[in-house]
Amino acid sequence: MMPLNLAQAGDRGLIDRVGGSGDLRRRLEELGFTSGQPVHVLSSRQGDLIVDVRGSRIALGRDLARRVHIRLGETA
Amino acid sequence: MSKEISIALAGNPNSGKSTLFNALTGARQSVGNWPGVTVEKKTGRLKADTSCQVVDLPGIYSLAAGSVDEIVARDYLVSGEPAVILNIVDGSNLERNLYLTTQLCELGLPVVIAVNMMDVVKRTGDEIDLERLASELSCPVLPISALLGEGLDALTTTLLQGVRGELPLPRPRVFSAPIEEVLAEIENLIRPHVRSVPGERSRLIALFEGDEHEKERLNLPGSTLSAIEKLIADLETRIDDDAVSLIGQERYQAIQNLLAGSRLEHGRGQMTLSDRIDQVVTNRILALPIFAAVMFLVYYLSVSTVGGWWTDWANDGLFGDGFFFLGRGREAYDEQVEEFELAEMSVEAFEEEAAAADLEAETATGLVAEVILYNDSGVEKERVAVSHDDYLAALDVEEPDPAAFGPWVPGVPVLVEQALEAGHVSGWLHDLVLDGIVAGVGAVLGFVPQMLVLFFFLALLEACGYMARIAFVMDRIFRSFGLSGTSFIPMLVSTGCAVPGIMAARTIESERDRRLTVATTPFMPCSAKLPVIALIAGALFDDAWWVAPSAYFAGIGAILVSGIILKKFRAFAGDAAPFVLELPSYRLPRPGDVLRSMLERAWSFIKRAGSIILLAQVFVWFTTSYGWADGAVRAVEQDQSFLAVLGSAVSWIFAPLGWGHWQAVVATITGLIAKENVVGTFGTLYGGFSEVSEAGWEIWANMRVHFTTLSAYSFLLFNLLCLPCFAAIGAIRREMNSARWTLFAIAYQTGLAYAVSLIFYQLGAMFSGTGSIPGTVTALVLLAGLLYLLLRPNPNRRLLPAAARS
Repeated sequence: MMPLNLAQAGDRGLIDRVGGSGDLRRRLEELGFTSGQPVHVLSSRQGDLIVDVRGSRIALGRDLARRVHIRLGETA
Repeated sequence: MSKEISIALAGNPNSGKSTLFNALTGARQSVGNWPGVTVEKKTGRLKADTSCQVVDLPGIYSLAAGSVDEIVARDYLVSGEPAVILNIVDGSNLERNLYLTTQLCELGLPVVIAVNMMDVVKRTGDEIDLERLASELSCPVLPISALLGEGLDALTTTLLQGVRGELPLPRPRVFSAPIEEVLAEIENLIRPHVRSVPGERSRLIALFEGDEHEKERLNLPGSTLSAIEKLIADLETRIDDDAVSLIGQERYQAIQNLLAGSRLEHGRGQMTLSDRIDQVVTNRILALPIFAAVMFLVYYLSVSTVGGWWTDWANDGLFGDGFFFLGRGREAYDEQVEEFELAEMSVEAFEEEAAAADLEAETATGLVAEVILYNDSGVEKERVAVSHDDYLAALDVEEPDPAAFGPWVPGVPVLVEQALEAGHVSGWLHDLVLDGIVAGVGAVLGFVPQMLVLFFFLALLEACGYMARIAFVMDRIFRSFGLSGTSFIPMLVSTGCAVPGIMAARTIESERDRRLTVATTPFMPCSAKLPVIALIAGALFDDAWWVAPSAYFAGIGAILVSGIILKKFRAFAGDAAPFVLELPSYRLPRPGDVLRSMLERAWSFIKRAGSIILLAQVFVWFTTSYGWADGAVRAVEQDQSFLAVLGSAVSWIFAPLGWGHWQAVVATITGLIAKENVVGTFGTLYGGFSEVSEAGWEIWANMRVHFTTLSAYSFLLFNLLCLPCFAAIGAIRREMNSARWTLFAIAYQTGLAYAVSLIFYQLGAMFSGTGSIPGTVTALVLLAGLLYLLLRPNPNRRLLPAAARS
């Protein structure tokens, strides 16, 4: 398990859990970051990411990305 | 509320909502504001039935009260006004888009679902089981392509059915038993306090999610609220997860079920064309160069070429003497004008020479005078000898009449003047209309063409999807200064003009970030400040190459420094909102949508030029043209005007900055109409010229008498950073939507400008050995204050860990 901001471009995994405080966590979950979802990292700029989750492309700043914990290499 | 039948259009950002709105309503649109907030409210009449109005809600991902947009949308949906909800969902991004749909279906209103971008879905080979969606949600689901205009007739027919009350209510999702039990208990708790209200189930769920805004809206007694909180806390300990997450996860499970018969594979776990473009465009090394190239192109086209030509036409033609229709005859006319000007100068030079030699010009046959021609930046171009014969010939040259050279269209001032003369209007009214109103409005409207071109490119970059990528790329750099990547676009636009720059801040979601951006973005040197920079560089610095770049550094520096200073105050406390943005797939925008967006922004600028700016213009015109003379108010020369008197009275304030003479103060004040007026005012005050060239080289020598290099640069710094022109102040007022915040912004800008100029001037004087002890001490105290504000530990930082834990 690792925080998403450490992932590299091309990495795939399953979301384990989304941490952090109420509003930010809700925002991430609304955008589709829920437990068990596959994510695919498309681009990484030192922790700022573009990821594919549920077919949409989301750009995430480092400080949000580290709230999302993934299990690297697992697939649904 | 109104008896009108309303259809609320709701959908995610980038779902094609504006395109659908434009297609359904055509030209019958109006733009306003949602009550109390600066979020734009667009309404339009349905083409097929003009008694129905369509209300375009802000693009949102959810109805939870997380942002102003979401609050506005939810407020409207539960207000009882809309009869039908039209929910547009992006078929190529269905799973995420349906999240909002599940919430809309809980409001107790008929919902019509339009699945957009069906053309894209078909092309990529995906399949959507629309029937399953319709039967599971119990509402009509129609395939459309807003871009191609497909499926809109069927959609309109269904909407009209909904308006007539012929559609069933959607069947909301049933949550798992533990949640439903708590929801039922909440219902029992609030039943005594709330009459049956629209969107009841939606409200129960909002309370379950702990939505503060909903609690306020229902105005429940404290005991009920704490009972509800206890119910939720009990459930959370029982299942070891929080309420918000539970609801979110169950919504997505419901969506999986809705999509059981669909095949959605495109873009999932595989790279699309759009992803490949992103790999290049957001690449660690290439991102910035690509961005710089795109911006250079946009800037070059809007300021230097297309927009520049067009602006020149507006300033010199439409709001000047006039112009040649389609430019025919321009060249021949220009040649004649040049000839006439040379003749005028020859006559003048010869007569001066004759007077000096004590001769009558008409008879001084042996005399030869000399005319020196300069180029636009004051460099000597040519010397022409003027003999007696030349003089006589020059006397006969007549001023060319443009109408003789081609189809001449007179400018607005010329037409207005003719009308005023025909009406035998009294002198002061004539001047008020012509020099006050027409000249003032013209000065502002003259920027419109340039802005149209700039707006066009911005709308294009936005519609094709590149703007979202720029924000992502710039976020890293801006974050270190307390700003977010979304603040970057407004600053960029401000290098052209601060007004559209400030307007561009509207898209920033966090109110704190938006205010910070609006307050600091006018520091950027806009195109109207360039002549001022050129004047100072030419007059005092021998056109040194570093003056203009240093002005840009001063502007950017002021923004970054302000970011650090202001975020330590409570009102701007905390880090910039964390960056999260959906990146829409790149696509070719529809020309109609781009043009519409461009015109909307331009129109909003023009409306402002017509009101507050106009009044300010007239005020400055009056105080510069009139003064107290011979016991009455009458028209006077500018150096005796009210403004000159005022300038002298307050000039001591600016003495510590090195330019405490009234001319500089008056120039600064006239610069508030438009910054380039500083040059024109100096022209009048230092040279008696009614008009000077852009860099004002005619008055350089006189300026050197009043300014030293130090005081000139201090003057430049102050004028770059102090409160912006009236147009920009108007824009700040509109975007801040608060007089208090507007005052704060201009007071902060002016205060910073004063402090920076003073520090620069006094310390400069100290190092060059002309400083005074009080001056140096003041400068050092201010510098220490500024450094303290910059470097002091953030007093709000302590609060953050606690906030993060909650």
